[in-house]
Amino acid sequence: MDQPPVVDVRSLHVRFGEVEAVAGIDLQAYPGQATALLGRNGAGKSTTMRVLAGVVPPTAGSVTVAGLDIRKDTLAVKQVTGYCPDVGGLVPRATPWEHLQLSARLRRLTGWEDRARDLLERFELGDVMNRVTGGFSHGMGRRLSVVLAAMHEPQVLLLDEPFDGVDPIGVDATFEVIADARARGATILLSTHLRDLAVQACGTALVLRGGSRVAAVDAAEMAGEEGASAYRALLD
Amino acid sequence: MPTALSSTDAPSTAYARTSVVAAARRAVGDVGILFAFRKQAVRRRHLARTLSLVFLAITVAVAVVPAFAPGAAGPDRAFDIYLLMPSAMAGFLVLTVSSAVASGGGRELISRDQASPYPVSPTTDHLGALLLAPLNIAWMVQAWLLLGSMAFSFGPDRLFQAQVVILLWLVCSTSVGQVVAWTMEAVRRRPGGILVSRGLLVAVGLAAGVVQLTGHTLQLLDRVPTLWVFVGAVSGWGGRWWLAVGFLVAGSLVAIVAGAVPAHLAARRMPRDEARMETDQHEPRPMPRSLLGILVRTDRASVWRSVPMRRGVLVLAVGPGLVAIFGDLPWSSMTILPGLVASGGALLFGVNAWCLDGRGALWRENLPAPATALFDARAWVLLEFLACASLITVGIGALRAGVPNAQELSALVCTLTVVLLQVVAAAMRWSIKHPYPVDLRSARATPAPPAAMVGYSARLAASTTITSLLFSGAAHVPEWRLSVIIAIPCVTWSGVRLVRARMRWQDPVIRARVVATTAA
Repeated sequence: MDQPPVVDVRSLHVRFGEVEAVAGIDLQAYPGQATALLGRNGAGKSTTMRVLAGVVPPTAGSVTVAGLDIRKDTLAVKQVTGYCPDVGGLVPRATPWEHLQLSARLRRLTGWEDRARDLLERFELGDVMNRVTGGFSHGMGRRLSVVLAAMHEPQVLLLDEPFDGVDPIGVDATFEVIADARARGATILLSTHLRDLAVQACGTALVLRGGSRVAAVDAAEMAGEEGASAYRALLD
Repeated sequence: MPTALSSTDAPSTAYARTSVVAAARRAVGDVGILFAFRKQAVRRRHLARTLSLVFLAITVAVAVVPAFAPGAAGPDRAFDIYLLMPSAMAGFLVLTVSSAVASGGGRELISRDQASPYPVSPTTDHLGALLLAPLNIAWMVQAWLLLGSMAFSFGPDRLFQAQVVILLWLVCSTSVGQVVAWTMEAVRRRPGGILVSRGLLVAVGLAAGVVQLTGHTLQLLDRVPTLWVFVGAVSGWGGRWWLAVGFLVAGSLVAIVAGAVPAHLAARRMPRDEARMETDQHEPRPMPRSLLGILVRTDRASVWRSVPMRRGVLVLAVGPGLVAIFGDLPWSSMTILPGLVASGGALLFGVNAWCLDGRGALWRENLPAPATALFDARAWVLLEFLACASLITVGIGALRAGVPNAQELSALVCTLTVVLLQVVAAAMRWSIKHPYPVDLRSARATPAPPAAMVGYSARLAASTTITSLLFSGAAHVPEWRLSVIIAIPCVTWSGVRLVRARMRWQDPVIRARVVATTAA
């Protein structure tokens, strides 16, 4: 790679009490690239995403995002990332528009409203933008989480299980968001259990197992029956 | 090989339609199972056991010790309390009814979402709510007050018999409260039910107002049916005592059984309040100018758009105020109200303040806002929520209390300041130390598991009551500065604790644990 990595993770360890959720992951992601994080439940995908989002501090190792040390410049990292968490991700008694306002105000955005409306329409959430999210279906919640992650056009887009329970229109809209982000040179990290969708959306795939990275391959190698067999072999 | 039951085959599954008695037996058994499940989740069992013993010890102490206090069973204050006992008993019934109605049928032994995959019947739900009813600060304080008043006014002679009746009255009132609450909930869930229940509430309020304004309060209190029970309580081992005991035991059993009927009815209907809240539309408002402004606005929406908080705060604010009016509470005693209301308010969400974000906590934590700003906004919203409820209560109580003198006003203002800060500091501290993943959608939801709620209730009740009594005493001293002097160290102490909680919140490891837990 000619350019330096935007996301540079070296020997990342995350420990919760006795449990080591991430045990020495190395990860580099570059501008204009989408990287898939694959692996079984408990492999450390979501914890890695949380670390990159500045939500969980690393126990050991070094993590830089856009050249910023996640330990020292956590707020600045949050400024340049957009994060769709694996669970929920929505304040239950706030409306989508209020979520967007909160994000825009804290990120000091101006003139964001048109883009926000456009994204809501693309994800078919325009009709419910003033409705509290507590009554949203799981899929609607996931779609809105992607909108919230992408609205400020972040330098690093972190999507954790964005396709979970989402209908084909939502999946297509998420693909569009990923493509747009790649086109403007953003770095995308996508964690999912849906291998086929990861292959379609990403150029590179990292397979995690037991909190460690076991493979880094071209996403195309994970496609089709052969890819499925190769993937299963990496999981066992 | 047969693949399905024929018309003459009896279904063999354990969940097939059974008789009412078998279903009831099963429901009682399920309460035990759920209770054991809940018990397993108690993190600090040793502490829970100690707290249970403390609760028992306090109950025994308040039921016995006042009988041996100077002036007990005497002709002065003790006799006044003796005369008020039937009214106090009626007041307890009103409390159990209003508390159960406000919480939409009482607290949940297991939350609706957690229970949804299992065959938990509404009868189990009803019995569980009944079991949890005493785990409530207002219930405990009022029950202790009733037992203590009985002991002090009646003296040691035949005290055992009297307290047995009072204890049975507590059980009977709680069971009746549960029946009324389920019935109201069943009505609320019918088309137009919200309107009907609000109409009933207004009618009760108006009736109370009319009685008060026309000066019939004393006449009404003299005629409360609890007088009959009270006479039974003070009759020793006589026939009247046995009659009262028999009546209360039978009444309790009937209420416990009868409560299952409206509970089943309510379970079949959609909770309209919650459904309305979850589909509510809120027109966009202009962007606040400051960072704190938008954080406060978001947190405020999370509080005021929640069914349990709206209902809870209404009962908390209005209930004690009405009691103050009917009891003709003087300004010097009014200091007890803010502590009671603030403690109750904190138990609606404050003791687990970060749960307001629900599963949105992870996303919010990724927003570039300083941790201190998040803390300040949450603490401020909690403070204004508690202050709002406390001021309404004091405002209602003030309607009959006349004009306070300088020391009474000073004592009240100082109590308000001290207890609000005390409760906010404690709640924010506990919120960081013991976060729980809670969804405050349901009117019956609590911010922490029942065992934790008991601990919080007891600690809040103890600290705020001591503070309130301190200022109540100061209100009798003809020097308004005394309350201010007492308030300064109290405010400093709570302020320091709040600042320390704020500092803890800035630790990213601690914050990550809180966020990950509440969003789980």
